Amino acid sequence: MAESVLNIEGLVKRYGGSVEAVRGIDLDIRAGEVFGFLGPNGAGKSTTIRCVLGLLAPTAGRMTAFGVDLVHDGVAVRKRIAYVPGELRLPERMTGAQLAATIGEMRGGFEVGRQHQLVERLTIDMERPIRSLSTGNRRKIALLLAFASNADLLILDEPTSGLDPLMQREFLVLVREAKARGATTFLSSHVLSEVQHIADRVAVLRSGKVVASGTVDELRRSARQRVEVWFEDQPSVDEFAGIAGLAEVRMDDGRLTAVLTGSVQPLLQCLVKHRVASILVEEPDLEDAFLDLYTAPVTQ
Amino acid sequence: MNAEMAVAKAAGVAVRRAAFWWCVALGAAVVATMAFWPAFRGASGISQAIDSLPQPVIQAFGLQDFGSPAGFLRGNLYELLVPLLFSIAAVALVNGQTASDESAGRMELFLAQAIDRRGLFVARLVACMVALLLIIVTTIVVQVVADALLDVSIQPGYVIATAVLCGLLAALFGSVAYLVACLAARPSLVLAVGIGLLIGGYLVAALFPVAELLKPWAVISPWNWALGGNPLENPTEPWRLAALALTSLVLIVVGTAVVTRRDVTAP
Repeated sequence: MAESVLNIEGLVKRYGGSVEAVRGIDLDIRAGEVFGFLGPNGAGKSTTIRCVLGLLAPTAGRMTAFGVDLVHDGVAVRKRIAYVPGELRLPERMTGAQLAATIGEMRGGFEVGRQHQLVERLTIDMERPIRSLSTGNRRKIALLLAFASNADLLILDEPTSGLDPLMQREFLVLVREAKARGATTFLSSHVLSEVQHIADRVAVLRSGKVVASGTVDELRRSARQRVEVWFEDQPSVDEFAGIAGLAEVRMDDGRLTAVLTGSVQPLLQCLVKHRVASILVEEPDLEDAFLDLYTAPVTQ
Repeated sequence: MNAEMAVAKAAGVAVRRAAFWWCVALGAAVVATMAFWPAFRGASGISQAIDSLPQPVIQAFGLQDFGSPAGFLRGNLYELLVPLLFSIAAVALVNGQTASDESAGRMELFLAQAIDRRGLFVARLVACMVALLLIIVTTIVVQVVADALLDVSIQPGYVIATAVLCGLLAALFGSVAYLVACLAARPSLVLAVGIGLLIGGYLVAALFPVAELLKPWAVISPWNWALGGNPLENPTEPWRLAALALTSLVLIVVGTAVVTRRDVTAP
C-alpha cells in the first residue's frame, strides 16, 4: 500500500463554541492518488481544507501531511503543498505575472519553462491587472500557480468553478499529468462528473461528516437500482416485501417493479422459485447515488 | 526569509501608489502653507489679533508666537495637520495591508504558502512603515527647501526633529491599527480604534492643559510625548523619541504574538 500523504483523524471544527462545521472527519489519502472530496455546499469541505492549511485552528483532531504534524509544523510542510482556494480572491492591483513572481519567490522559484508552458496551455494574459480579468481567467491564474509549483500534494477546492468546458478538460489533463509524476491530488468539488472522471477514491461529506467513502465503482455499486421482473406465473407481492435491499415493491399484472440497494443475490434466490419471463436491472445512476447521500439523514 | 521578503516586496508594490499620493498631499500642504509665510512674516497685527484671544484657546490650538517662524510652522502645520495626516496615512496603509486584505480573502493564497502567519503580517507592516518613512522624508525635504527659499529663519535640525516626532507618532497609531488587525480582521474596527485614539489623543494633549485639574494628565497622550516639548524651538528630549518608538514596538510585538491565536477570516 502506498504511503499516507495526508492523514486526518477525528477532525472537529466548531465556530463560536456552538456551530459545528466539521464533526469528526477521518481521511487517509495515499501517495499518488487523486482523492475526490464531494459534498453539497456547506458540507464542511472548505473548512476541512482550511484546517489542513493552518488557516483555521481545529477544535479537535489530528492532521499530518507527509508524516508531519500540520498544527505544529504546518509551515515547513506547506512547501510541498499547492492550493487553489474555493473562494478565489487575488490581489486586484497585481498582474498575473507579478503574482506568479511573488508566489514563485515564496516557494523558492517556479521553473520558467514550466510556467510559460502553462500560460500557453491555459491561455492566460499575464500582463493584465487581475482586477480586469474575468472569474474564469482569475481561476486559470490560480491553477497556474498550483501546477507550476511541482508540489507533491495539490489541494484544489472547487478548481473548475467559472472555467469553460475546454479549460475544464485541460484541467483534467493537468491533474492526470500531476498524478503521472507521482503527485497526490485532494480534489474538493460538488461537480460529480469532474470527480468521477479522475478520482481513484472519493469521500462524500454531508453536514460535517463523511457519509460514504470508497472507489467510484464501490459507491456506484451501493447505489439504488431500478428493477423490473416479468413473471409467467402470478406470485404474491408479499413474497418480495421482506427481501434485503428491496424497497418500493409493486406487483402489477405479473410485473414486479422495485428499487434495489446492494447485492442482487437475495432477490435472485426468491426469483428462482418462479417462472421468470424477463428481468431488467438498470445500471445504477451515480448521480442519484450521490444525491441520496447528499439528502439522507446524517447519523449523530 | 525568502517568503517574507517576497511578501514585503509585493506589499511594497501594493502601497506604492497610495504612498505616492500621500507624499504629494503632504508636500502640497507644506508648499501651500509656506506660500503664506511672506505675508505673515513680522506682521505684528496678526500677532496682536491672536494675542487678543483667550490664553487657553491660543494654547489649545498652538497659536503662540504666530508671527515668528516657529510659531507659524507650529500653528499651521506641526501642531495638528502634519501629525494628523501622517497618522491617518499610517492607519490607512496598515489597515489596507492587514485587516482589509484578510477580510476580503486576498491573504488566503499567501498564507497557504510556506510562511508563518506572523512573518506575513510583519512583512506587510514593514512595507507600510517604509511607505510612511517615504512620506516623512518627502515632507522634510519639501519643508527644508521651502524654508531655505523663503528665508524662514529656523534651525533645519529642529524642523527635521519635529517631523521625525510626528512620524513616530504616526508609527505608533499605525502600530495600534496593526494590533487591532492582529486581534480581529475587521477593517472598520481597525479604522475606528486607530482614528478614534488618534483624535482622542489630540484632544487630551490640546485641551487637558487648559484645565488645571486635568493638566497633569496631558502626559498620557502620545501627542504630548511627540510635541509637548515644542520641538520647533527646543532640542528634542530623547525620552520623547524613546517613548514613541518603544510603545510602537510593544504594540507590534503583542500583535504579532496574538495573530496566530485566531482563525484566518474567510469572506
